[in-house]
Amino acid sequence: MGKLTGFMDYAREEVEEREARHRISDWREYKAPFSDETLKRQGARCMDCGTPFCQIGEVLDGATTGCPIYNLIPEWNHLVYLEKWEEALERLLKTNNFPEFTGRVCPAPCEGSCTLAIADPAVTIKSIERTIIDKGFENGWIASRMPRNRTGKSVAIIGSGPAGLASADQLNQAGHMVTVYERQDRAGGLLMYGIPNMKLEKEVVERRVRLLEEEGIQFILNTEVGIDIHADELNEMYDAVILCTGA
Amino acid sequence: MRNLLDFKDRESIPVEEVEPVSSIVKRFKTGAMSFGSLSKEAHETLAIAMNRIGGKSNSGEGGEDPKRYAPDANGDLRRSAIKQIASGRFGVKSHYLIHADELQIKMAQGAKPGEGGQLPGNKVYPWVADVRGSTPGVGLISPPPHHDIYSIEDLAQLIYDLKNANREARISVKLVAKSGIGTIAAGVAKGKADVISVSGYDGGTGASPRTSIKHTGLPWELGLAETHQTLMLNNLRERVVLETDGKLMTGKDVVMAALLGAEEFGFATAPLVVLGCVMMRVCHKDTCPVGIATQNPELREKFMGNADHVVNFMHYIAQEVREIMAMLGFRTIEEMIGRTDILTISERAKVHWKAKDLDLSTLIYRVDGGRTCQTKQDHQLQRSLDESAILPMVLSIIEQNEKVDITYNIKNTHRAVGTITGSEITKRYGEEGMVEDAITLRFNGSAGQSFGAYVPKGMTLRLTGDANDYVGKGLSGGKIIISSPPEAKSAESGNIIIGNVALYGATTGEAYINGYAGERFAVRNSGANAVVEGIGDHGCEYMTGGRVVILGDVGKNFAAGMSGGIAYILTEDPEKFDVLCNKEMVAIETVSDPMELEEVKRLIQNHYHYTASQKARFVLSHWNGSMQKLVKVIPRDFRHMQEQIQTYKNAGMSDREAALHAFELKKKNAVGNQNLKTSTVVPL
Ligand SMILES: Cc1cc2nc3c(=O)[nH]c(=O)nc-3n(C[C@H](O)[C@H](O)[C@H](O)COP(=O)(O)OP(=O)(O)OC[C@H]3O[C@@H](n4cnc5c(N)ncnc54)[C@H](O)[C@@H]3O)c2cc1C
Ligand code: SF4
Repeated sequence: MGKLTGFMDYAREEVEEREARHRISDWREYKAPFSDETLKRQGARCMDCGTPFCQIGEVLDGATTGCPIYNLIPEWNHLVYLEKWEEALERLLKTNNFPEFTGRVCPAPCEGSCTLAIADPAVTIKSIERTIIDKGFENGWIASRMPRNRTGKSVAIIGSGPAGLASADQLNQAGHMVTVYERQDRAGGLLMYGIPNMKLEKEVVERRVRLLEEEGIQFILNTEVGIDIHADELNEMYDAVILCTGA
Repeated sequence: MRNLLDFKDRESIPVEEVEPVSSIVKRFKTGAMSFGSLSKEAHETLAIAMNRIGGKSNSGEGGEDPKRYAPDANGDLRRSAIKQIASGRFGVKSHYLIHADELQIKMAQGAKPGEGGQLPGNKVYPWVADVRGSTPGVGLISPPPHHDIYSIEDLAQLIYDLKNANREARISVKLVAKSGIGTIAAGVAKGKADVISVSGYDGGTGASPRTSIKHTGLPWELGLAETHQTLMLNNLRERVVLETDGKLMTGKDVVMAALLGAEEFGFATAPLVVLGCVMMRVCHKDTCPVGIATQNPELREKFMGNADHVVNFMHYIAQEVREIMAMLGFRTIEEMIGRTDILTISERAKVHWKAKDLDLSTLIYRVDGGRTCQTKQDHQLQRSLDESAILPMVLSIIEQNEKVDITYNIKNTHRAVGTITGSEITKRYGEEGMVEDAITLRFNGSAGQSFGAYVPKGMTLRLTGDANDYVGKGLSGGKIIISSPPEAKSAESGNIIIGNVALYGATTGEAYINGYAGERFAVRNSGANAVVEGIGDHGCEYMTGGRVVILGDVGKNFAAGMSGGIAYILTEDPEKFDVLCNKEMVAIETVSDPMELEEVKRLIQNHYHYTASQKARFVLSHWNGSMQKLVKVIPRDFRHMQEQIQTYKNAGMSDREAALHAFELKKKNAVGNQNLKTSTVVPL
């Protein structure tokens, strides 16, 4: 919950952006994570609401309100306020496979439903999320996690966008053998070929794909299912097939 | 529980034939939430809304700012129609009582039966302290029991006292659902309550400990059904109005409550949500971000509630009630009340794995007879000394703002003597009252209970003889002098002259008691000055203001929970006093400040002047020696705040500024500590 009166004591701060005159000379990311001090202050603004609308992802009138993956936002806000970075990361990873993506490019419906936003600027949830995971990578707290058991079952996933990667991660951790088919020459879907670098560096995507590979997931690139390989074949080779081919 | 019941199929009528929204909403009330727990804005918005529709809002137990008693320029009234009298008696004075349509005695709260309440020091802002008669920054405790209610007779007495303090108001008693509530309610009805309110466990949950909500409260359905049926079986139902509350949220809830026997309906959570409550569950922390349950001016600015919204909400609920009534074929609420015969156990409940084992038949048991209030309680005020003898002689004098001095004989069947007369003064002259001693009434004999309850400024009651319990209850500026008769002077010290619980909840005024008082003397006194010659156990408990001078011994547990005011004790045996005093919150000191000594002397001189007390005469004539034995009992927090306020005043601030600055300083320190605590505990 951060500090009891944090929301009155501190204003919302945004992450730092690179200066325009430096920005125009390359295409690289222009936002930096928070410093420890800012991170702590921003975490302190969380009010630990009795009804935490931020973490209740719901569709109201066709619009998403609250975090669609039910991130335990007030909990990690409190932990960063207490400078318990590693614990915060652990809580974050409980619900989020790839905070380094959402922390950069998620439209943050959590902030839209933040109670504080009724009368004040919302808690900077997304930037806190990003800072927690960046810190995790920086300090080597993120390492490949090998699944403890293998089930002997196999799954094919078609498409390596965030949907494909998240399914691959979950199923691999559950012990199944996962193979991802991707028609492009690189994995990542729109993360790789849609969202511009200035929002999401391609190294960030690649770093994650590498981790998944280390954990035992196989990526088969340059292969369009339906043309290069028939769907029936996949059905025969695998116990299950998941379609994550995007819109 | 109500969800286990269903309506039976009945012939419908067109909705136009059902009584209109405007008459249904008159049965609606908002919950008892004190000013102090709620912000001024939220509290007043609720009152305005309910006054607009002819319903009733409830002051809660924190007193009310008298500025709210007069209508605003636009015709809105910010006055709460229901004024609550809870165990803390905060701000319960004559003026408060007279400005009510209903006076509610809060016996308990549904979500935390048996528990008291508290307002933490960091919410006791100067303006809250003002209406509660306490010190800014010093936490306030509402004790679990009413110190003047230990039996059903005591409750009947309080009902009588309040009825005397405001003859036009209905007296309501708020009970909580529990098994056996029917028997209690029968007693309350016989004690002449006009309204009985049954509160369920799921109301007021934001301010209650989770353990209490889960493990002690019961659904209002159980309490209401039992109360309604028991009252009917005892031919008492027609004498009282039954009310219920506890998370009523929809029209269907209201209809269910009516069918189970309720005539009036209370809402608390829902109207707060309408005002913008987002269920933060920080009601006790003064950090409510929508300006509802906070006193912090910065947060109060964020309040977005609007009386129109509350009015709309009440209208929608009433409309839904009408629609259900049309479906069930009822034209009026009156005919619907207590019609349990049209309820049946729902199909869902019958097959539910757990609910199917419940026997709900007693819940919808039907007793024959009148199912609603038909007759008014007879409070027999015409038999009171005030109505029969005093008022006829002094009313015109009060009206003309003149002076009078009359003597009466008094018997112990004369209860609450002076209260009705006092209410007539307050009605005309408000809190100011009349000039000192304007209405001087002398009595000879033995006074009954509640002698001089709630008497306002300008009234002086001089009794020669003795008095029963509750002398000067809620004293509101008046003066009470009780002397032993001349022929008993030699035996005066050491003899008990008044009963228990004197000056309970006194707010201002003076009392001089020429003898011993019983137990619980000056409990919850918040501003009256008193001199007495000895007291029983539990003296000055929970006191928050005023001065008490005791020229003699005290009983055990003295000053327990005392958070304000000062007691001076002239004891023969300081060591014994040290044992008898409950030092949890207070310090025992000596008095050295000459100004303070002068003040004590003045009180003792008054005492001698009014009562010719032998003890006072002795003390005054051996002043220096006596003062060696004088001990002072002062609450530590209170002293600290007083000193702080004085420092600011010395620096040139006004009383108001000084109080606010001292409060803010204290709050800042308190918040610092709180943060220290949370940073060592991880609530995961
Ligand atoms: C320019 C742009 C900017 C965006 N910016 C943001 C942003 O800032 N924030 C945000 O939250 N969202 C943003 N989005 C949307 C976001 O990228 C998508 O919602 C998300 O990528 C969808 O994920 P997905 O896994 O369902 O599909 P995709 O990312 O589309 O992945 C589908 C993958 O499946 C592969 N595939 C398809 N068919 C086959 C097949 N037959 N065989 C093999 N492979 C196949 C595709 O090549 C692709 O790699 C943006 C989108 C675009 C285009
Ligand atoms: S920014 Fe993070 S916490 Fe907020 S909605 Fe997106 S994923 Fe959830």
